[in-house]
Order: sequence, then C-alpha cells, then structure tokens
Amino acid sequence: MEIFAAQLLNGLSLGSMYVLLVLGFNLMLLVAKIIQFAYPHLVVLSMYVCWGVLRHTDNMLLVVLASVASCIVVNVAIEPIFRLLAKRHGLDINVSFVVSMSMALLITDVMSHLLNYGYPIAFPTEWVGKSIFSSGLIAFSAGQAYALFGGIAAVAAFFYLLYRTRQGRVLRAISENSLLSSIIGIPIIKTRVLSYAIAGLLGGLTAVMFARLLGSASPGLGDFVGMKVVAASILAGLGNLKGGLVCGLLLGIAESMAIGYLAGSWSNAIAFMMMLVIMLIKPEGLFGIEA
Amino acid sequence: MSPVLYYFLSFTGINILMCWSLYLPYRVGQLHYLTVACMLASAYFSGFAAREWSWPFALIVVVGILIGILICLIPSFAIGDAPCFTVVIIGLTIIFILKTAVENSPALGGTIGFFGIPQVNHLLPLTYLLVVYAGAVIYRIDHSRLGRAASVVFVDKNTAAALGIDVKRLGMFFQVAAGALAGLAGTLYAFLIGGLFPEFFNLGVIGTLMCMLFAGGHTTMWGVIVSVPILEGMQLLLPSAIASWRQVIYALTLIVIVLVLPGGLVTKRMLLRLKGKVSGGISKCNN
Repeated sequence: MEIFAAQLLNGLSLGSMYVLLVLGFNLMLLVAKIIQFAYPHLVVLSMYVCWGVLRHTDNMLLVVLASVASCIVVNVAIEPIFRLLAKRHGLDINVSFVVSMSMALLITDVMSHLLNYGYPIAFPTEWVGKSIFSSGLIAFSAGQAYALFGGIAAVAAFFYLLYRTRQGRVLRAISENSLLSSIIGIPIIKTRVLSYAIAGLLGGLTAVMFARLLGSASPGLGDFVGMKVVAASILAGLGNLKGGLVCGLLLGIAESMAIGYLAGSWSNAIAFMMMLVIMLIKPEGLFGIEA
Repeated sequence: MSPVLYYFLSFTGINILMCWSLYLPYRVGQLHYLTVACMLASAYFSGFAAREWSWPFALIVVVGILIGILICLIPSFAIGDAPCFTVVIIGLTIIFILKTAVENSPALGGTIGFFGIPQVNHLLPLTYLLVVYAGAVIYRIDHSRLGRAASVVFVDKNTAAALGIDVKRLGMFFQVAAGALAGLAGTLYAFLIGGLFPEFFNLGVIGTLMCMLFAGGHTTMWGVIVSVPILEGMQLLLPSAIASWRQVIYALTLIVIVLVLPGGLVTKRMLLRLKGKVSGGISKCNN
C-alpha cells in the first residue's frame, strides 16, 4: 500500500508535467494547425538554459525568467517557418509533423554537440530540494511539490485564460473556424503567434519544474518526452484539451506505477505497451478528435 | 573494390529499400515508422539465426521478410486507415518496445550489442539484385489499379471511399508491403555490419530516411534513387569534423526541401514531362 501511495504521488507530479506539455502542444495544434513534435525538445533546451543560468547565479526568479524567455523566443522564432509551410502546402498537419520532427532532430543534435559536450547535465541537489514529508516509503520532495502545485496553478491559469478572457475567446474562435474569425476581424497571424508564445510560456515553466522534479537532463530526453506527449495527445483525441488533462495525468500515474512495481527499463516499455493497446483499439482517441 | 566504396554501395542499396518501405505507405498518406521496428526485428533475428543456428542465407532472407510482414500485419488491422500521426506514434512506440526487449535480452547482447554475425559471399551483388527486384515490384504496384487507388486516397480519403476504394484494406496492403521491404533491409543490414546495436534504431535513423525520401521526392519511387547516393556520399566527401554534424545537415536539408521544393528533386510531373519528350523524340525519329 505504501508503494502504491508513494508512486501515486510521483505519478501526479510527473503527470502534471505531461498535462502542461500536452496543453501547449494541443494549443498550437488547435490554433496554428500544426503538430509541433519539437515542443518537448524546446522544453529540454530550456532545461539546459536553466542549468546554464544556475551555474552563474542561484537567483530563482532569474532562472525562471531565463527559461521562460528562451522557450518563448525559440518557439515564436520558428513560427514563420510553419507560416511559410502553410502558404506552400496549405494547412497540412502531416507536413508540419515532418518539419517539426526535423526540428526535433536538429535541437537534439545541437544539444549533444554543443552543450556540456553531449553529456547529461545534473542540477544542484539544493535545486531539487530535500524531502518535505516522509513516512515509511512515502517521501514528498520539494521538487515534486513544485511540479505538482506549480503544474496545477499553471493549468488553472491556462484554462482561465482560455475560457474567461477575451483573448481566450479569440483563440477558441480561430481553433473553431479561422476563415470566419478573419471575416469578423480577428487578426489570424497575430493570434497564432500568441498561441506559440503561450505554449512557449507553458514550456518554459514546465522546464523549470521538470528540472526540479528530475534533477537531470540529457539531449535524448526530448525524444522520449516527445513520444509520450504526442501519444498522450492521441490517446486523449488530438486537440482535446480536457481529454489531454486526463490522459496526461493518467500517463504519469501509469508510468510511476510501472516504475514502482516492475524491473528497471521494462517500466517505460510497459507504459508504452498500455498506450499502444489503447491506440490500436481506439485510434481516434478516448475523448474524440477536436483538431 | 575499396572497403569505403563497398560500404557506400551496400548502404546505398539498403537505404533505398528502407526509403521505399516508407514511400509505399506514404502513397496513402501514412508515415509508417513501424518499418524501422521491422528492420530491427529482422536484423536481430537474422544475426541470431546465422550465428547460433547456422541457417543458410536464403532461408534467413525469407524468414526476415516474413517477420517484417508479421510485425506490420498485426497492427495494420487497427491502423490500416488511421490518421497519419496515430500511425507515426504507434510505429515509434513499437520501436521503443522492441528496443527495450533487445536491451533486456542477454541472448541478443543487451545494450552492449550483438556481434559475430558470419559474412556472406557476394553480398553486394545480391543486395542490388534484390533492390532491382523490389523496384520492379513497386513499379508494377505504382502502375496498377492499386497505385491509382493509392493516389486518390492520398488526395482525399472520403472521395476514395465514395469511388468504392476500400481505404483500410489498401492501407493494410501498403503497410504489409512496407514491412516486407524493411524485413529484407534488416537482414541485409545485419550481414553487412556483422554486429548490431539497439541504440542504432532511433529517431536519427527515421530522420535520415525521411530526409532521403522527401529530398528525392515522395511522389515517385525514383526520387530515392537520386537522393540516397547523394546523401550517403555526402558523408564520405565531407571532412570528418563536418560529417559528425550529419543529423543537423539532414534535418536542415529536409526543412529546406519541404519549404522550397515540396515535391522533392524528382516529381511525378517531371517524369511525365521527361517521358513526353522521350516519346516525342522517338516518334520524330520514326517519322
């Protein structure tokens, strides 16, 4: 029972990270009509930025700002490529996937050539934080607390923005029908750039929380997380934000349970196996495609 | 023949087969990365069968192809007509699961790798014989009713269904054919390299193959025959300091090609124009 409780806590912390990534990914899919496979890779890049800043200062605010700024800047900087792509191919999601996959390879290879000589990076132990609660096998670290509560706050803020603000209505309008939205005077390109910026903001925050949760990162982490994020989005139904919320959390919990109860490297394979079975049974996702 | 030229030619042949295995399902709009899982499975099977059971090469090739077919056939019942990205993620997931299985199998060398696969005489001519045969089969498929049906599905699945095309069965057919090609490529790869590492079968390989397919042209089977030797040769010609950045070069090439030359270097329209000129020239000569 203790193992279950401990892994449930781990799973909720990890799942809240996946939820943030799935939300950012789905936002770009709904508004900009792209499959941004490189999005988790950008998050890993921001983790490297965190690490770089941490080597010079331990100012938390500065680290968060650097991470968020880098993720927003890079994510917004690649928007013109997708815009040009849309001009050439129309809004072809498959082609956007091919290009974003190339970007993912590019980011991974650049990180493994230029950053820390390709070796994994480790964050300082005080950054990950000590255990703030411990009872038998159950331990709750500061990193987990940041991930869980930070994740909940970020998701709440995201849904507030989307469903309670004027800007959120504009984003939803474009995701429903971009042609009609442009007819009623919504600036399409500006709003799409905004969706990249919001996704970048979510990505930057996720990078900080991920760094505190995992305590390390490597260039290959992006591929691994990327697969899970896209798989969770497909499980939820592409573009389904509420479904993404459920599936991101479920994925985190399933992965943690597998780690708790199964031997070493098989745990991830089991998590993937479960996703595979669901995708084979329901290729359109559990909650239906909205993209 | 120098070893460099031998390996260049052999890898070119194997990559052409792998690119065709991606090209076939892309005819119906699916990026079928499961072919890399087929390559992995058949390569490891071939290595194991040759080293441990001393099976003859011909039998290993046949069983390797059958393994590729089987790996693609089972999921194809569910994803024959699934959206492109679902097929992508299922492919990536199965690659990961197979890789984990290999890494946890001491009999297959685990993470260290599997070595000691015996060499085969005349592997290079055999590879090209098989490439030519596979090319002939793909050409026949492309110019058959199946090929024409695939072109309709690529443009619009709903229209294809309205015209009476069974989109799912067609998708299954192309996925299984791709599996057979990848199984063959995996077997040849195992015998060429003589040692296998699970880490080889990653996103980098997929990126390389995608670059070769899209740079050559995904609308025709001939594109990869142009792009694969160029991109393979590039590694040999570039200084080693730059060649180590080959993933970056491939990724940039792919992005630029998709943006600037959406159809790739060799397009269907280009081939039709060429065919028109040649047949026009011949009729002029006859007159």
